[in-house]
Parts: sequence; C-alpha cells; structure tokens
Amino acid sequence: MKESSGSQVYDIKVINRKVNNMTKPILRIQNLHKKFGSSEVLKGLNLTVDEGEVVVIIGPSGTGKSTLLRCINRLETPDSGEIYLEDQKIEHGKTNLSRMRQKIGMVFQDFNLFNHLTAIQNVAIGPVKVKKIDKAKAMKAAERELERVGLKDKANSYPAELSGGQKQRVAIARALAMEPKVMLFDEPTSALDPELTGEVLAVMKDLAKAGMTMVVVSHEMGFAREAAHRIVFLEDGIVSEMGSPEKIFNNPEKQRTREFISKITSLSGEGSA
Amino acid sequence: MSMRYTEVFNSIPYLLQGVGTTLEITIYALFLGAFFGLLLALARVYGGNISRRFAILYSRIIRSLPLLVILFLLFYLGTEVINFSEFQAVILALAIHTSAYQSEIFRGSIQSISKGQMEAALALGMSKTQGIFTIILPQALRRAIPYWGNEASIVLKDSSFAYVLGVLEILRRGEFVIARTGQALITYIIVGIIYLILTSILTKCLSIGERKFRIPGL
Repeated sequence: MKESSGSQVYDIKVINRKVNNMTKPILRIQNLHKKFGSSEVLKGLNLTVDEGEVVVIIGPSGTGKSTLLRCINRLETPDSGEIYLEDQKIEHGKTNLSRMRQKIGMVFQDFNLFNHLTAIQNVAIGPVKVKKIDKAKAMKAAERELERVGLKDKANSYPAELSGGQKQRVAIARALAMEPKVMLFDEPTSALDPELTGEVLAVMKDLAKAGMTMVVVSHEMGFAREAAHRIVFLEDGIVSEMGSPEKIFNNPEKQRTREFISKITSLSGEGSA
Repeated sequence: MSMRYTEVFNSIPYLLQGVGTTLEITIYALFLGAFFGLLLALARVYGGNISRRFAILYSRIIRSLPLLVILFLLFYLGTEVINFSEFQAVILALAIHTSAYQSEIFRGSIQSISKGQMEAALALGMSKTQGIFTIILPQALRRAIPYWGNEASIVLKDSSFAYVLGVLEILRRGEFVIARTGQALITYIIVGIIYLILTSILTKCLSIGERKFRIPGL
C-alpha cells in the first residue's frame, strides 16, 4: 500500500479551497429530528458538507453520530427534517431511495462484508446487481478498486479469511465501486486492533487526497488532524461546535469541546504529539 | 420354522419394490414443503402484518395436529370433496406437515444472519428483495442444511404413514408379507433395516452437500 505523503498536500488543498472559493454544497441536512422510543437522539441538526470536503464528526457516545450517518442514507428514517444530496431530496419511495443510495457510499464499523462472496465478488456485486453492469466488466473494475486499497492479491479470499483491516479495506472498495458522490464512514476503525487501524486510515487519507467528499464518524485524532477540513463536535443531538482542525484542537470556543478533546487525545496518547 | 424365514427372505425383493414409492413420496413432500416453508419463513421475517400473522398461525396450527389427522383429513377431502388419489393425499399431507416445521428452520436461519448484511445490501442501492435473494438466502440456506437434513430424514420415515391409506410403499408391503408368512418380527426387522439404509444414504448426501457449500474460512 502507498504511504500518504504527509499533511502538506491537505494544507494546500484547504488553501486552494479557500482561495478559489470552491465551496459548492453537496450535502445539506436541515433540522433533522430522530427519536428512538422516548429518547430523542437528533434534535434539529443542521449540517452542510461541501463537495470534496472531509468532515470528521466527533462527540460523546449516544449523541447521535451514527444515527446521523444512518439517516443520510435512510437506514434510519428521520422523524422530521430534510436531507438533500446535490439539491435532490432524499426520501422514501423505491426508485429515489435506490438512486440516492447509489450515490452515497457507506462503510460500517463491523465491515458487513457479504460472507458468502469472495473479496472481488463483494466489490463487484453492487455494480452488477444495482447498476446492471456486465459481469466481466464489473469484475475488471472491482480488481482495480481492490488494487487501490492494496488488496489485489486477496481478490479470491472470503471475508472469514481476511484480517479486520483487510475486511474494512474491501468494504471501502465495495463502496467505491459504486462511484459514490459522498462516502460515509461509521467508526471505520473502532472494531479493529490498534495495529490494523493504520492500513485503513491510510486508504482513507488517499481517498481524501483524491478529492472524495467524506463524512467520517471517528475518534482517530491523527486522521482528523491530517485529513479533515472541518471537525464537527456533536453533542446532545445538535452540532455544538465546528471548525478547522486547528481551531477545534487548539482553540475551541466551548469549554465542553475543550474537555472532550483533551479526554480523547489523552486516551489515544496524542496529547504530546 | 426355517421354511417360514426363507419365505420372508424371499420376499425382500418385493419389499424393495416399495423403495421407489417411499422415495417418491419423500422427495415430492420434502420439496413442496421446502417451497412453502421458505415462503412462510420469508412472510414471517419480511412480510407485512397480515402475511406475518398468517405464517405464525399456520405454523402453530399445523404443528399442533398429529400427522395422522392431517393425513385422514386430506384423504377424506380427496375422496369426498375434491378428487385426488391416496398417493396424492399422502404427499400433500406430508408436505403441509413438513412445511410448518421447515418454515421454522428457515426462519431461524434467516434471522441468524446479522442485520448488517441487509443494511450493507440496502446501502449499495439494492432493493429489499434483491438483498433477500442475493445476500440473505444464500447464507441462510447454507446454515439451514444440517437442520433441513434432520427434517428430511423425518419426512422419509413419516412417509410410512402412507400405509394406512393403502399406498404400496415399504411398510405396506411389509404388512402383506406378514399376512402371508405370519412372521411379524423378522419382517419388521427387515423393513427397519431398509429404512436405516435409506436414512443413512440421505444423511450422507446432505453432509456432502453441506461440505460442498461451506463458506471457506467460516
């Protein structure tokens, strides 16, 4: 796998984005509410993500980070509020939902690879079944996606024969094969042993570098510092604070954000970094 | 005495002629039962309110009825109401009976597949039906094989109930041999051995199938 070539690239990218004012919103979330039973998880959340932007969402557990991602591709149905992808509303109704989901790649915490299919079949099945692409062509494309995540040699392995990090890389390739406009990552490394998170984060950094719009729920502060354009601190069902990594890490406005950041950076041993 | 034993042993080819009928009943009943059992299981797991309730009720009622009662019900239905043969009545009765049990087997195996599998399918843009047929069932059916094999050998043995309707399968032929020779014990032993051999072959075939369809690494 390729090593990422440091954070400089990202800084240039941030500057470019600012200078060129390339801020075209691609994902708009307005006044999102979601209840589970009597507990309200999302309480009128608003968030806009620009094209090519990498947004990392952090926040205490139970604060609705995963629910937010799952509402975006409608694995959960919001109680109220609107979500627009490229100015098109995401709503129920078979054709709309399938079409919108094709544009939204999702990477799950516990991979959810299809256990009865090999790595390459996992990657190809979306294009074949959903986009109705010719199988031979889809397999060729799948091979390229696997190569991109450094797993070409594992193409014919079944998920149970792969390590956690390899599984997650296949899962990323599977999502990429659909050529999505936005990628959602739901704590992609939290089910992994610490020594395996690096290979997944490296793939994600490459993806960020390539200009993919990404919404990432993660407490990997190294990744957030290096690859994120914006950090969103979610608390109690709303966006409590957001800003550039420098601002959120070094100079957050709210005391609560400061406490949270110091807690997770000390836990992940980043305090001195 | 030994003359009579010889007579029983000479009847073995006659008994074996029943194997075809037994297998025919078993295979028809088993696959009809699998088809309806699977439909019921899908209705139960993914269906709307009405189809789910129907599947639950069906399974509950059928599993509470003795097979013999279902058999006689169908026999009299076949002679008094609609016209079908004893042979067909037996197959239908066994199929109805086993479909309820198979629906429970399939339901269990479908529900044992983690929720994330369907979510990942939906997230790719698949419809729920696509998710069921391309992702869930291929895994669930593999898991069901051992339990299904158990049910298959039960159906094979239950096919002997056909004798009460006079269908000429193994057991019925055994009754005729006993009537002719008066040797009940030895005849039933031979009949038992034939069933034992059939069940062993069936079990062997299914375990080969289980191995063949096993997902590597799991």
